[in-house]
Amino acid sequence: MSLAAQLVAQVGAPVSFRGPTIDYHALAPEIVLSAAVVVLVLLDSIKLERAKAYMPVVTNLALLGALIPLLTLAYDGGTRALFGGSYVVGPMPLMLKAMFIVTTYVVVLLSTNYMAEGDYWESEYYTLLVSSLLGMVVMASSRDLIGIFVALELLSIPAYMLASWRKGDVRSNEAGLKYFLMGVFASAVLLYGMSLVYGLGGSTRLEDIGRVLADAPTDGVPVVTLALVFVVIGFAFKVSAVPFHVWAPDTYEGAPTPVTTFLAVASKAAGFVALISLVFYAFLPRADIIEPLFFVLAIGSMTVGNLAALRQTNVVRMLAYSGIAHAGFMLAPFVVAGSNPFRSMQSIVVYLVIYAAMNLGAFACVIAMARQTRSAELKDLAGVVRSMPGLAWCMVLFLASLIGMPPLGGWYAKFGVFKVVVGAETGLGYATAIIMAINTAIAAYYYLNVAKTMIFDDPPEGAPVRAPRTPPSLAAAIAISLVATFAFGILPGLLTNVTSYGPLALGG
Amino acid sequence: MTGLFAAAPSAVSFDTPANIAFAVIAVVMVIAAVRVVTTRNVVHAALWLMIVLGGNGLLYLLLQAEFVAMTQFLVYLGAIVVLFLFGIMLTRAPLGRSDDLDNDQRWMGVAVSLILLVVIGYSLIKTYSDDKLTFGAVRNAGTNAQTQDLATSIFVDYLVPFEVVSVLLLAALIGAIVLARRD
Repeated sequence: MSLAAQLVAQVGAPVSFRGPTIDYHALAPEIVLSAAVVVLVLLDSIKLERAKAYMPVVTNLALLGALIPLLTLAYDGGTRALFGGSYVVGPMPLMLKAMFIVTTYVVVLLSTNYMAEGDYWESEYYTLLVSSLLGMVVMASSRDLIGIFVALELLSIPAYMLASWRKGDVRSNEAGLKYFLMGVFASAVLLYGMSLVYGLGGSTRLEDIGRVLADAPTDGVPVVTLALVFVVIGFAFKVSAVPFHVWAPDTYEGAPTPVTTFLAVASKAAGFVALISLVFYAFLPRADIIEPLFFVLAIGSMTVGNLAALRQTNVVRMLAYSGIAHAGFMLAPFVVAGSNPFRSMQSIVVYLVIYAAMNLGAFACVIAMARQTRSAELKDLAGVVRSMPGLAWCMVLFLASLIGMPPLGGWYAKFGVFKVVVGAETGLGYATAIIMAINTAIAAYYYLNVAKTMIFDDPPEGAPVRAPRTPPSLAAAIAISLVATFAFGILPGLLTNVTSYGPLALGG
Repeated sequence: MTGLFAAAPSAVSFDTPANIAFAVIAVVMVIAAVRVVTTRNVVHAALWLMIVLGGNGLLYLLLQAEFVAMTQFLVYLGAIVVLFLFGIMLTRAPLGRSDDLDNDQRWMGVAVSLILLVVIGYSLIKTYSDDKLTFGAVRNAGTNAQTQDLATSIFVDYLVPFEVVSVLLLAALIGAIVLARRD
């Protein structure tokens, strides 16, 4: 036998690698977004000053391009399980992906003028934004520990850097560094928890882990508690739940405001999506551990967030604390996860989508108003209704939605959570509902205070009578958010119909 | 790989050399890990870290995961610790002994570490004390089966995370350059 033949025999014969069958249609949104990242990098290397102006346009076209396969997949219907069930594309992941993509679309609209007018690295900004979005889109489909962890890192690492994008500003540097240090610490805790979960379940797939946990004895295995607590704590940092929230206000205030919007809406939602996958697909058999843990996180977040928000004089900081409080509301359905898994999951997803719409709108209004006032301090916003009536009234509408006034979206989100928490008829559920009711009242006070300052207070000395025109991209961002906020409030069926086809309903 | 609650595989006889090797490596790793946080010299801390990471690689070798062990050596010892050292030398960090490496929160840190040690130690011992860890006979001797399994997992089961990691590295690279460069 010749040497070549020997080599062929040795290399060729025993190694029979068979590649996976890939459903390219199901993965098309991810592929489009990856291509967008590459295109944005290449566009930047073309040294044309003109190319710079097209960056936001190219980014948004790519995002719209990623929406097309989502629509065709939704039209096809059904649930596609890829890679042995570790990557699932079904109605709920599709809706979450659409939410992430539309949110990023609005964030790009918010950034267009902000980035062009300031001294920023523009094209890199959009590259990082899209790569972070890719992490979120992957997160929506991942049903596997490794997939979830990699998606979490992909969505977080660009966000750490975007938070310190205002390089010359010490507060922005502080924002990025705080976020980064807290984030990597949380990742380490999470990873340790995940390694214990893998050791227990013998698989990284959430489905398998859920099956093993269901069969396991409930006594004498404290490692299960430890593992679940560590994993949940890791994500509690990401969604800025109390007591793991200390980074959020400083990061939100220091980061460029469009980035703050992105963190407060998309990044937080992605953390919740991961929690939803982990709790409802894997940890549900141990509801006895999960429910008290989430009870503490939920009531802590809503109470501490609201009480701190009361004392804020900066609107962005106030929105950061109110975001912590809203995270508490979104954590509340986890408290009754064991009693009615499907309804609790649905109410969290509905809350996430509606919160995204109204919070985007509130931030868009703040950015638009700050173009004139040059600050987001509450006292500088006094009487803005005289110079910017349209913006001020839009802001009032978004604040009303955040309080939960019908017919705006916020009321349905809150109503859904209340219904699930009370409907479970458990002691913890009732306790959560009572604390939620008190917190809704506290929240109304500080939101209305902002509205009052804008509408009724006298403007500060020397404020211009007429404001410059709001740029079309900002106006479009506000319009999209406003339409979504109204639509979800008047026709909540839009959301519930989609979520009721969730994998849980299909028995997956 | 069937998990904690599945039937335990038929016990293999106690593997003395492997257990002794494990004990020695573990003790060295613990000592080195303590020195990483107690030493007052940044360069020494990086070198102690090298021993911890190297010990980790040796543990992988004991478990017959040769490929993972070699990756551990190449990536952690060869790249990451060297990167630390370059970072220390290229920035203006003091190379010698420096007393300001410590701060007032050191006792807090000690307390938290001890509590974590007790909690994690208790749970692990309570759950796993009856299990026997066997370093097992070599699976399919001479065929490199574990490395092949690894390749299959990466390129079949974990294809999406694998591709996603490449975007992650690209994004991290771009962002780091923007933040680090002088405007």
